[in-house]
Amino acid sequence: MTQSVSRRALLAVPALVLALAGTGAVVEAAEPIRIGAILSTTGPGAGAGIPQRNGLQLAVKLVNEKGGINGRQVQLIMEDDGSSPDVAVTKANNLIFSQKVQAIIGPTLTASTLAVGGVADPGKIPVMAFTGLGVAMEKTRRCVFHMLPSQDLNARALLEVATKGLGAKKLGVLHDSAYGNIVMTKIREVSPDYPVEIVAVEKWEVGATDATTQAAKVKAASPDAVAVIGNSATPFRNARQIRMTMPLLSGIGTATYEYVKAMGDAADNIVFAEFLVAEDPLPGQSAFVEAFHKEYGVLPKTMEASAWDAFNAVAAGLAKVGPEAQPGALCEAIRGPFDGAMARFDFSQEDLTGLTLKSYVFSKLDKGKFVRLPFKAGS
Amino acid sequence: MLFTQALLAGVTNGFVYALVGLGIAVIFKGSHVINAMQGELAVVGAATAVFAAAIWGLPLWLAVVAGALTGMAIAILVELGPIRALFARRAREESFLLLTVGLGFTFSAGVLYLFGREEHLLPALGDEVYEIFGAIIREHALWVIAISAVLILALRLFYRHTHLGLSMMAASIDPDGAATTGINVRAMRTATFALGGLLAALAGLLVAPLIGVGYQMGPLLTLKGFAAAILGGLSNPLGALVGGLVIGILEAMSIVFVSSGMKDAVALTLLIVIMIFVPDGILGRAGRKGG
Repeated sequence: MTQSVSRRALLAVPALVLALAGTGAVVEAAEPIRIGAILSTTGPGAGAGIPQRNGLQLAVKLVNEKGGINGRQVQLIMEDDGSSPDVAVTKANNLIFSQKVQAIIGPTLTASTLAVGGVADPGKIPVMAFTGLGVAMEKTRRCVFHMLPSQDLNARALLEVATKGLGAKKLGVLHDSAYGNIVMTKIREVSPDYPVEIVAVEKWEVGATDATTQAAKVKAASPDAVAVIGNSATPFRNARQIRMTMPLLSGIGTATYEYVKAMGDAADNIVFAEFLVAEDPLPGQSAFVEAFHKEYGVLPKTMEASAWDAFNAVAAGLAKVGPEAQPGALCEAIRGPFDGAMARFDFSQEDLTGLTLKSYVFSKLDKGKFVRLPFKAGS
Repeated sequence: MLFTQALLAGVTNGFVYALVGLGIAVIFKGSHVINAMQGELAVVGAATAVFAAAIWGLPLWLAVVAGALTGMAIAILVELGPIRALFARRAREESFLLLTVGLGFTFSAGVLYLFGREEHLLPALGDEVYEIFGAIIREHALWVIAISAVLILALRLFYRHTHLGLSMMAASIDPDGAATTGINVRAMRTATFALGGLLAALAGLLVAPLIGVGYQMGPLLTLKGFAAAILGGLSNPLGALVGGLVIGILEAMSIVFVSSGMKDAVALTLLIVIMIFVPDGILGRAGRKGG
């Protein structure tokens, strides 16, 4: 035990020297609280990582403008893992052992979360991951919290709105070979709980330039609604090009303005199971939407909100226990309910997120515009 | 209806692959360089047109011309710079392949840096939708098919009947012999790359309204185009068309008759079988004679 402490102290010396060198002359001000972030702002995960960065930076900026946490400013140390778990671990080691951060916001991707959790959890450094609970092992990690729903819950949310919201009896699915494949596995698992028959399932390869034939095969099975799951606008366009007129369903990943633009004319009559419709926010979401719009001039979606919440949950925990608390105290402080802009979390739940079907907000694209639906799931 | 729809989708995709493969075949034919950045040049051409129209406010036709010329200009610069330097050092084929693979990554990163992560759509040449035996095809897809057919015919005539085309061929087949008859071999190679770059950009411009172009799309386009060119017979532009159509239709039919999960496995296995029986490509030697 003593050995590990002294080793840590040794590691801390160069970090301290660097930190002092960095702060320069203004040493009299209180040392800033260091928070690390590992996001995928380049590589395949950047579609989620970049909006997360924007939400996070705004949250930090506003907390600092209001005087910081317990009178101390927050210093955000932002790292990009390039969408690779190996890089994420290296960055996490640096943040934890050299930079001495109090918490890590991120990672963006599931594989990186699993890897970073392996380093941070033993050190009792909270990790606010932008993923849903994945493998069962993650349940044993007491300091890794999840800002997004598990794929099991995502699958249920889609089936809820398909059956209860749209009254579909026959569902078709178009999914990609990566993320969509995982959700599809869950849809198969949970669909017996719903009065729906899955009549056609077709897959497109990630990066494919065309999925018309897959769409035509789904269309031939005459479904009442079709779930389109994967990170591409192509299948939405293909489906509409061959006159598939039934409602399409999709998830958080594609409920972004970027995808809507890429969908072109196809961005109509598509229902999303997501968390934030900034054009018509829920009462608890308005303040965030206003602040985001003021800062960036555009409206946020779920990813921006989740990063805003991740930081604010850490900030709330730090305010409670103080920045000098014992290792593990901050994890304990975070482990509880948190009213966020994205949803109401309860990090003390078994899935380390506390999101339920009731947390979802459902929206529909009407000629390229998001409209919030009155439908609520889980009731 | 499903069969017809799949066939139409397969044919449309086949022409997309053929357009990319065409440029690969042209460059291989004229320089024996396997150009692994053909897909990226297509993306650069289309992205330039999108942004020339959206940001600089150029009229669409001018933006398209700008896109086509950009693709051509980049290919010329690549030939004048690294390709010429490698030829001067008598580099072997694998060096050229490595060079173009590397440049492909560079251009892809350039597109990401300059134009962002979004997918971009160009306006179509026509927004009508036609119904054929219950299946649907977009007017733009018909334009892609028609324009590709014209391009392939024009290339054939160019290589057979024009002085420049014949000189380009001669310079490639027998550089020393061509030089002794007064052909400027290096200039012909530059012309070959110019033509290949132009074809790449045209491919990008033509398919952008159908598939939407993004920075990450290059390698896949190159791969499919390359497969099309090889399958048809790498030294014959007409081969790229035959190869593209075979791949496009095989893919579509594997989805209909097997499953979409097995699409690539089925289509690529059949390709291997075809290549075993006709290693020179479907058009083989017969195609090469006239090419």
